[in-house]
Amino acid sequence: MNFALNHTKIQSQNLILIGFGFGLVLVLIASLSMGAYRIPFPQTLAILLDQLGISLGSYEMQQSNVLLQIRTPRVLMAMLVGGGLGIAGAALQGMFRNPLVEPGLIGVSTGSALFAVIFMVLIPTVSSLAWIKMLGLPLFAFIGGLICVTSVYQLSKSQGRTDAATLILAGVAINALAAALIGLVLFFADDTALRSFTFWSLGDLGGAIWSKIPVSLTLIGVPSILLLFNSRQLNALALGEQEAFHMGVNVQQVKIRLLICSALIVGVGVSMVGMIGFVGLVVPHLIRILFGADHRLVLPGSFLLGAILMNFADLIARIIVIPAEMPIGVITALIGAPFFIWLIFNLNKSKN
Amino acid sequence: MLKASQVHFCIRQRPILDEVSMELSPGEILAVLGPNGAGKSTFFKILSGEIKCNHGSVGYNGHDIHKLKARDLAVVRAVMPQHTQVNFAFTVQEVVELGLISTKVKQPAKLIEEVLEATNTFHLKEQVFNNLSGGEKQRVQLARVLVQIWETKPFPRYLLLDEPTSSLDIAQQHAVLKILQTLKARNIGILVILHELNLAAQYADKIALLKDGLIAKTGTVEEVLEEKILEYVFDHPIQLIKNPVTGGVLISAAAQTHTPIPTFKQA
Repeated sequence: MNFALNHTKIQSQNLILIGFGFGLVLVLIASLSMGAYRIPFPQTLAILLDQLGISLGSYEMQQSNVLLQIRTPRVLMAMLVGGGLGIAGAALQGMFRNPLVEPGLIGVSTGSALFAVIFMVLIPTVSSLAWIKMLGLPLFAFIGGLICVTSVYQLSKSQGRTDAATLILAGVAINALAAALIGLVLFFADDTALRSFTFWSLGDLGGAIWSKIPVSLTLIGVPSILLLFNSRQLNALALGEQEAFHMGVNVQQVKIRLLICSALIVGVGVSMVGMIGFVGLVVPHLIRILFGADHRLVLPGSFLLGAILMNFADLIARIIVIPAEMPIGVITALIGAPFFIWLIFNLNKSKN
Repeated sequence: MLKASQVHFCIRQRPILDEVSMELSPGEILAVLGPNGAGKSTFFKILSGEIKCNHGSVGYNGHDIHKLKARDLAVVRAVMPQHTQVNFAFTVQEVVELGLISTKVKQPAKLIEEVLEATNTFHLKEQVFNNLSGGEKQRVQLARVLVQIWETKPFPRYLLLDEPTSSLDIAQQHAVLKILQTLKARNIGILVILHELNLAAQYADKIALLKDGLIAKTGTVEEVLEEKILEYVFDHPIQLIKNPVTGGVLISAAAQTHTPIPTFKQA
């Protein structure tokens, strides 16, 4: 009987994930079709299916160009970055054993931004080679994110447990330091560097072009898949690091894997579209509230829901002030901040 | 055999454990007793592999503990710490399942059902762990630890428990100790830190008394339970009384009657 119960649990988890996948496809199609330049649904489908060799109907060349050259890379980028922020947020919350952890809060995002800015200001002189620019920026951002999250983790840890108060304080301190250093670097920057920095503060998917997709796909996709293999270990860590060790988990190794993968995902995301808050916080929470805490579902679910929310937010950002665009960070914060407040309120209530 | 030899542990030159040696054979229950600050928990952590001793060695079935990987160690010993906090909304079933994370077993569902039955927590399995009472949580944690070594294996294994009965009522305390007794037949050696001397007297095969980082006395229950040595270890008057029902020994920690009761005089 119990065995059957386990079986149905895995089945229902798969069903939930398939549901999210279906939702993602719908949002992607809607996102491809809507915007300043409207492409009706039948044409959208016709263009997409034509790429697969299935002829469904006629469309104009301009529609096809907008959809394939401008919107598709943008939608893919939103999917990768949103999904990446979701799964990295879930993994970090699990590792820190704290539901308040978010890539922005513990310094990964700011650290990545700092190193990205350093790269932009210092490297242009030697960046005649295209591939240095293509790979150097995400890798620099990754290193910055890794340094910051490792220092916050070390600061907040005592006897194998992370203390929530110290964690927040360490995060605030590291964030402030990184922000000050960004300011310092910008002080020495020229106008071009300044202009390209402005989009870091609130995030912008407008710069998503096809040439950026392969790097993002590899550097966000691969670590995301690696994270999925750590879901059982994350479940064990929820009982505490000592307990996980007692149960046979090599805690140190798992933590290093989690930190590197999350920093890589967030670092690359930041270097591609800038700092986008709250996705990494809100998404894993929604999954936990709706479907429980098992990381075997929370991790993949967070990726899919993160991708959905990011595309949804981008869609709103594009259609709310046509023909202009709202920065996407404004939209995610508008959705995320009230949720965060609600979360704190509820955490307080459950403690009393 | 779980063997600790001359385990020494210092914090800032101050010895917490001083050349402590101990042996635990499969099929016996060893109770570790001692006052607060005697070094029991430190000794426990060294035995479980959480911390390394400054010198001395710990070996499981002849293998040095630090040469074993976490995964291999989890196959030969399970550990129940004093408190375990679960930070997310895991269900009881999910928590217990975690005990099987490093062992490959044939029928995981059957093992889980058996330990849930044994710890009297089967009816709780769909509930969220954090919503349980203190006693229920402790029993679920016991189930999680038990499932790790529940399947019979051809080699001896060990179970370490740090005050597993601290939040339990008297019936549950005895239920837990009775579960531990059934493990003896499974070729498992049990080391348990207890505060309740009478539980140790009733269920343990051997007792080790720890005081100021030293083993004050170790041996069978009859050898160790003497008024003088207990009074020295716990710094408190102790009387041994014969249990009229079982014929065993009862430990009473009543204060001496001739001690003058402090009175407060008006100034």
